[in-house]
Parts: sequence; structure tokens; C-alpha cells
Amino acid sequence: EFCSSLADIMLLEVFLVLGTVIIYFLLSKKKEETLPFKEGWWGKGQKPDTEEDTTVWPFKVETTEEELSDLFRRLDQARFTEPLENSCFHYGTNSMYLRKVISYWKNQFNWKKQVEVLNKYPQFKTKIQGIDIHFVHVKPPRLPEGQSAKPLLMVHGWPGSFYEFYKIIPLLTDPASHGLSDEHIFEVICPSIPGYGFSEAPHKKDFNSVSAASIFYELMLRLGFNEFYAQGGDWGWLICTNLAQIAPNHMKGLHLNLASVTNMGFSHLLSILLGRYLPGLFGFQDEDVRRMFPFLKEGLYRMLLESGYAHIQATKPDTVGCGLNDSPVGLAAYILEKFSTWTDLEFRNLEDGGLERKFNLDDLLTNIMIYWVSGCIVSSMRFYKENLQKGIGTQKHERLTVQVPTGIASFPNEVMHTPQAWAQKKYTNIVSFHFMPRGGHFAALEEPELLAEDILQFVGKVEKEQLWRKK
Amino acid sequence: QTILCLPRSFEYSQKNAVLVSAAALGVGGMLVYWLRSRHKIKTIEMGDGWWGLGERLVKGKEDESIRPFKIETSDKEIEDLHRRLEQARYAPPLEGAAFHYGFNSSYLQKVVAYWRNQFDWRKQVEVLNKYPHFQTTIEGIAIHFIHVKPSYVPHGRAVQPLLMVHGWPGSFYEFYKIIPLLTEPAGHGLNEGDVVFEVICPSIPGYGFSEAPHQKGFDTIATARIFHKLMNRLGFKEYYLQGGDWGSRITTNMAQMLPQSVKGLHLNFVFISRQGLRRMISVMLGAYVPWLVGLTREDVRRTYPFIQKNIYELLRESGYLHIQATKPDTAGCGLNDSPVGLAAYILEKFSTWTDKSFLHKDDGGLESKYSLDELLTNVMIYWVTSSIVSSMRFYKENFSKYPGLTADARVGVYVPTGIAAFPQELVHTPHAWAKEIFKNIITYSYMPRGGHFAAFEEPKLLAQDIMHFVRKVEQL
Repeated sequence: EFCSSLADIMLLEVFLVLGTVIIYFLLSKKKEETLPFKEGWWGKGQKPDTEEDTTVWPFKVETTEEELSDLFRRLDQARFTEPLENSCFHYGTNSMYLRKVISYWKNQFNWKKQVEVLNKYPQFKTKIQGIDIHFVHVKPPRLPEGQSAKPLLMVHGWPGSFYEFYKIIPLLTDPASHGLSDEHIFEVICPSIPGYGFSEAPHKKDFNSVSAASIFYELMLRLGFNEFYAQGGDWGWLICTNLAQIAPNHMKGLHLNLASVTNMGFSHLLSILLGRYLPGLFGFQDEDVRRMFPFLKEGLYRMLLESGYAHIQATKPDTVGCGLNDSPVGLAAYILEKFSTWTDLEFRNLEDGGLERKFNLDDLLTNIMIYWVSGCIVSSMRFYKENLQKGIGTQKHERLTVQVPTGIASFPNEVMHTPQAWAQKKYTNIVSFHFMPRGGHFAALEEPELLAEDILQFVGKVEKEQLWRKK
Repeated sequence: QTILCLPRSFEYSQKNAVLVSAAALGVGGMLVYWLRSRHKIKTIEMGDGWWGLGERLVKGKEDESIRPFKIETSDKEIEDLHRRLEQARYAPPLEGAAFHYGFNSSYLQKVVAYWRNQFDWRKQVEVLNKYPHFQTTIEGIAIHFIHVKPSYVPHGRAVQPLLMVHGWPGSFYEFYKIIPLLTEPAGHGLNEGDVVFEVICPSIPGYGFSEAPHQKGFDTIATARIFHKLMNRLGFKEYYLQGGDWGSRITTNMAQMLPQSVKGLHLNFVFISRQGLRRMISVMLGAYVPWLVGLTREDVRRTYPFIQKNIYELLRESGYLHIQATKPDTAGCGLNDSPVGLAAYILEKFSTWTDKSFLHKDDGGLESKYSLDELLTNVMIYWVTSSIVSSMRFYKENFSKYPGLTADARVGVYVPTGIAAFPQELVHTPHAWAKEIFKNIITYSYMPRGGHFAAFEEPKLLAQDIMHFVRKVEQL
């Protein structure tokens, strides 16, 4: 039975490959066209006739006694289910460990103090395409003579937030005080994706990564930046990539800590089947082989095991998010599971999910609180449906390449590994590609120094040779 | 090929002779084995299990008593529920979303308002208790079931024992409307001849009032074994089985495990886990020459367009399955803490799996087929027993192994089988495909209407088909 199924799978693969090749040749056009800016209006009801208000106003995170007592009441009434014996984190977040987190949340976590931490960086809001866009804007405390700050847009993902960048921001705005070279100093802009945190959620359907990229493009222009760098991982990777495709002339460089390939083809399939035996032929390095093979285990099974959340969020976001918006404990379990598994897959074998090895509970809970107090879990999940509902690899922007100078930091514990050989097909101008020594998906929060160093060396290369002019 | 090449060289004739006879014996042996194996019915091994806390106590026999059970509630339980319903936080739906993004929260607020203000749980508990409930300990865990006997049996009529198994996100409660039609057909306008049943509806361990297994590995085969033990303990040697959703796979496993105990197997849902080249070809040809691959016109109507119905729609509707089969404890955590979240999650299935076109409705079409009281009673069973997480774990335990390698993958089903194919079921399995596993299909019916929750939605249709099937089996 197994053998015949294997034969069937291979036959199916051959058909699929042939089909893909034929379609590829039929439909491939010149892939250097730009992605058009996506107009939209995401506010409630009808778009008004008046001109959009373009003011930027300061914003502060606030909390109330009522908000806190409501939270505590819910934490107190939490109902847990005993985990199976010896299940660790294999069935999801272990409820024994979750109880400890809830206890800390109730008794030691100080949300008022964390709100002050959040407010230490200046935050603002502005209305774009009908919705309020929240962002953090941090300028360097001091600039050496003759130097100007380089604008850097940093975009978070799910289930993260602008808060993930709070540790790396000082390394980029004030590198000298942190033992890094101050050849390049940045002013950092971290927006919240619409539907996440303090950015208003779109009220209309169809808000995808290209919509977000268009809005962030308008944001940068509104802030007066004609040229800027962009950095992103998770959804931030896709949004920044789209931004590079929409406005290549404004983007000096694109830095990514995740570089997925959504447009798989015949050559990818071939490299999966044979890449382990003939790595050189497919441009694989030793580290690529180590991280990717055996492909079934390291690639396919891992993907299947870890993508349940994406599947349900891409199909029924309102259903799955409903309970999470009503139960902070459920929300914490759902989000913490990702911070555990996506930081190191081995953490699934630990009873406490290894969470406190790389993060502290205050940071983890602050991120969760952003989802809780803004009530944004449902809208954050809708982003999956808007981006994935037509399938992976089917949208126009997925077929377009990126010519902007690109730097990729490849972290070892990222869930899926993308070798440079594959990334090159999409990012045609890779200036730097480094295998990072440690770290997982939430690079900015987990390994801020490593990420900052890689960003700095990338920008250094781009600036030295003025690569953005050579596109 | 070896045999054909051999005759060339006559110098090695002696060696050849030995080789040829060995080969002939080998081939002959294989032929005999193949002929033999076609007649021997393969079964699933029964095995044994232990699902209680800690280590199994070697000394002493397990308590086999059957204890009457009554569902109870308290003011505290109801007040806690009401408080959570009142404090529910909703996210407004996107404009024009209907049920395409999942359960519409505007409609959900209406359901919750009814739940808080009109739904009477104490009254529903009395409804639940109208049938006799019991619990008994098997393999270390308490198994809950209801056992309904006909109140009046005409002289000379045999009463057929019938085990009916629910699925997810259902419960034993789904059978409450169909039970009277089976135990008292005459009293419900069914007067269908000689068939009268006594019905046993257990709760799958981890669901409702059956204790949840404390050990890993509790799958449909373990459930099948436990339910056989249950029937045995109740004194039944031979019985009929009926199931849909997980109930379908469990009862199928029961038929594969102890065919001699199963008089007949009736399914309103068929799990076909075997894919294959033959299936693919059948699918591709079936669109153009259905008669060639054994498909009827109705099969074609329900199965095609294939990619749309069987791949695209299935992908769209299987997100819950994917996350429950991989991270059940995460998926269920919030649902065990927020009754509103639990209701949205469960009722979404009662909408979409009853009729796919309900996706386009702002209210998910729920109240066109069910009453809020019965829908919420089912949700309450999950809520008061805190069983949502353990119910989800069942997916992980059953989908962990590669489908072709599970114990039941190569075992056929030889007991008399009846299949009721409902038009709005998630996937349609034509008779031609079901035959590959179910070798003894006595009845296959295209039901005129109804979806996944057949017993709940169309109890009369289902009851009629069960009777029709059982009558045929009894005549055999």
C-alpha cells in the first residue's frame, strides 16, 4: 500500500511538474515590471468626498483601572485542561506551564509599568486610505558632525508587533553606545500593520500585503522620506518585498530575516529531489544541505506539523479568533506556542516550551497585551485569509522579482530554510546573504545584536558602492 | 524473465533444472498463498489498552459495574456561564463578509443574547435526562452512554440492539430525535415492518460525560475495542452499528475488529483514506464516461467539478482539522475558557456542514434547520464537561500516522453494510469507490436532502434508511 502510494505520489509529481512547466512557458512574461501601487479605502461605510486629513498626531498607549480589573477577573476564572502525560509541547502549549505564566501575569507582571516602557519611544498616528495608522518614530539621540540619519522602516509580523523592535532600536539609532560602529546611524519607523495593535483594522475585504505596502509607502512619503531602507521578517518580509516592488526608486535597500519562496517551479522540485546528492549543481552550500535535508522530515512534515494555524486563519479567521478575543488565557496559549516553537523546534520536547531561555515573561506578555487591549486578534488573523485565500504562488506580485539591493540574514532555527540559490531567483540583487550562528523566527527580539550587525554591514555595503543608483 | 532466459544454455542444464523447479515452486507457492488469502478475512487485532491516570493496577479486577448516571447542574455553574456571556468581547465583521470569514460576530451576538436570556439550561438538563444514562469503567476510564429500550414490544418481534456513535463537534445528544423513531417506529408514523431497536449511544472517551484518556495514543481502534467491551458487558453478542463523522470510522473499525459480533454496519459518512492511481484515473475519466468507472449520474452531480468540490472546498473547510490534528491543546485552550468562542467554533460547523450555501448568509442559515435550544444544548455539553480540548486531541491521535500504515488501512469490511449518502455531506463517496473497502454493501441510498449531521437534521430520513437496511439484512 505504501509502495503503491509512493509510486502514485511520484506520478502525481511528474504530472504536476509537467503542468507547471507548460504553464510557466505559456505565461511567463518579462518579470521586471513594477508592482502597481494599490489604491484603496478601508474605512467604515462609504468613502467621504472630502480630502483625506493628512495630519500626523502624537499617540500614547494608555490603560485604565477598569481594563486591568477586567483582565484580572478573566485570569482568575480561567479554566484549564490537564495535559496528557509526557506530552510536553507536542500537543500545543502545555497547560501546566501556562498556569505558571498566568500566575506571573496576575501577580508580578505590571502592565502600567510596561505601558511606560512602550511610551518611551515617540508614537504617532495618521490617517491613510481611511484608517488610522500607528507607528513608532525614533530619531538618533545624537549625530556626529556631517552625518545624517538614514530612515529605516521596520515591519513586524504575526503574532508579533512593533514592540518586537524595542531592543534593536537603540542599537540602530545609537550604535556607538552599544559597542557597534557608528558609520551608519538610523532613524527608525516601526508601523503597526493595519489590523494589528494600535493601527485601525480595515473594514473592507481584500486588505492584503500589497495594500499594507502601499499604505506604508504613503506613510514614508508623508513623513518626508524620499529614500529609505526597509527591514522585515514574517509578514514584514512580504510587505517590505512588495514595497520594493512598488517603489524601487525610493528604496535604497531591503533587509530580510526571512526570505520565503512562494513561486516554486520545476527547478525547485528538481533541487529538492537531487539537491542532497548534487548540492553544487543547484547552488546549495553545506549549511543549506544541513538545514534542508532529509526534505520530507525537515521540510514537508515540519511544514505540515506547524502550519495548522495558517490553514485555519486563512479560511476561518473570525471563528478561530473569536474565543481568543474573549479569553486572555487562550490568547496567551495561542501566541506563546509560536514564540516557543518558532524560536527552536526542539523546544517542543520541553515541558515549559523553553520560552524563558530566550525571552523574559515581561516582554512576551507585553506583546500579548498589545493584542488583548487593542482587541486585534481577529483582524490580525484576517490578514492570512486576504493573502492566502487564492492559494500560494498565484498572485501577481509573487511572480515579480525584486531589483532593490537586498540583504538576507538566515537564522538557523527559522521554521523553513530558504537557500540563497532559491532566493536569488526572486531577489535578483542580493548584496549579502549570511548564515547567522543562532536564533529563530523572532530575530529582532531574540538576537537583536546579531540582527543589528547584519543590517549595519548590509547598509555599509550598499552605501559604500552607492548600489541603489546602479539599479 | 529469469525462467525464459534459462533455456539457452544447455551446458548448465543441471543447475538450470534446479533453478527452474525452485522458481516454479516459488511462483506456485505465491499463487496458492494469494488464492488462500482471498478467502481468509483479515481483521484488526483487538489488543488491549489502559487510559487511566498513572500505571495500571495489576492486582485486582477492574470494577465492571454499570452505574446509573444523571446529568446535574448548579446555580454556580449557570451564574459562571452567564457572567462569561455578559462580558464577551466581539470583533465586528468585515462589511459583506456573511459567513465567509467564519462565524459572523453580529449574528453571534444575537445567539449569545438568546443564550443569556432565554435558553434554560435546567430545562435542557431535564430533557437530556429523559433517557436513562449510565457510566461504567473500561480500560481505566469511565464510559458514559444512554441506553433506551422500547417501552412496548409486540409479541414475537425481535428487538435489535443498535449502537450509534456520534462525532465531532457533536455528542450523544444528536441522536435524541432519532431514538424514538427507532425504539417506537409505529408511534411515529413509521410502521416499517418488523424492525424495532434498543439503542445505545455512548460518548467517545474525551467527549461529553465520558472520561478523557490520560495517556497518549487513544485512537478510533482503541475506541472500537472499548465499545465492543461495552456491548459485551451489557450482554450483547451480536449487534448493529450506526455512525457518521468519527462514529463512522469507529464503527467501521468495530466491524473490522470483530466481524462476528456485527450484524450490520450503517454509515451516513464514509471515510476513504486510500488514494491511489486507480482513484485518480477514475476521477479523471468519471467526468466524461462515468458509466465506464462505475459512477452514476447522481455521483457525477455530487462529485464534480472535482477540483472545486474535493480539493478547493475541502481545503477551505479543513483548517480546523489541520490545527486540531497538530496543536489541539493550543486550539482548545481559549474555547474552554470562553463559551462564546466555543459556540462560534462549534456552530460554524453546524452551519457550513449542513449546507454549503449557508456560507453566503449573514446568519449562517442555522435557524432554518435547527432550533437554538438544541444547538446550544450540544454546545453546553462541551462546556459543562470541559471536553473541548480532549475532543480535539482525538484528531491528533488519529492522524499522526501515515494513512497507508495504520492498522486498519489494508483491512476490508465484510459485514453487511448500508450507506446513506446525504447530498450536502462534506465529501461524496460513490458506491464504486466505497466497494473497495466495504465488500458487502447491502444498501446504498442517495438521500434526497440533508448534510453532515444527518441524525440531528433529518432523523426521519435516516431512521427510514436504517430500517430499510436492517430489514434487508434480517431477510438474508
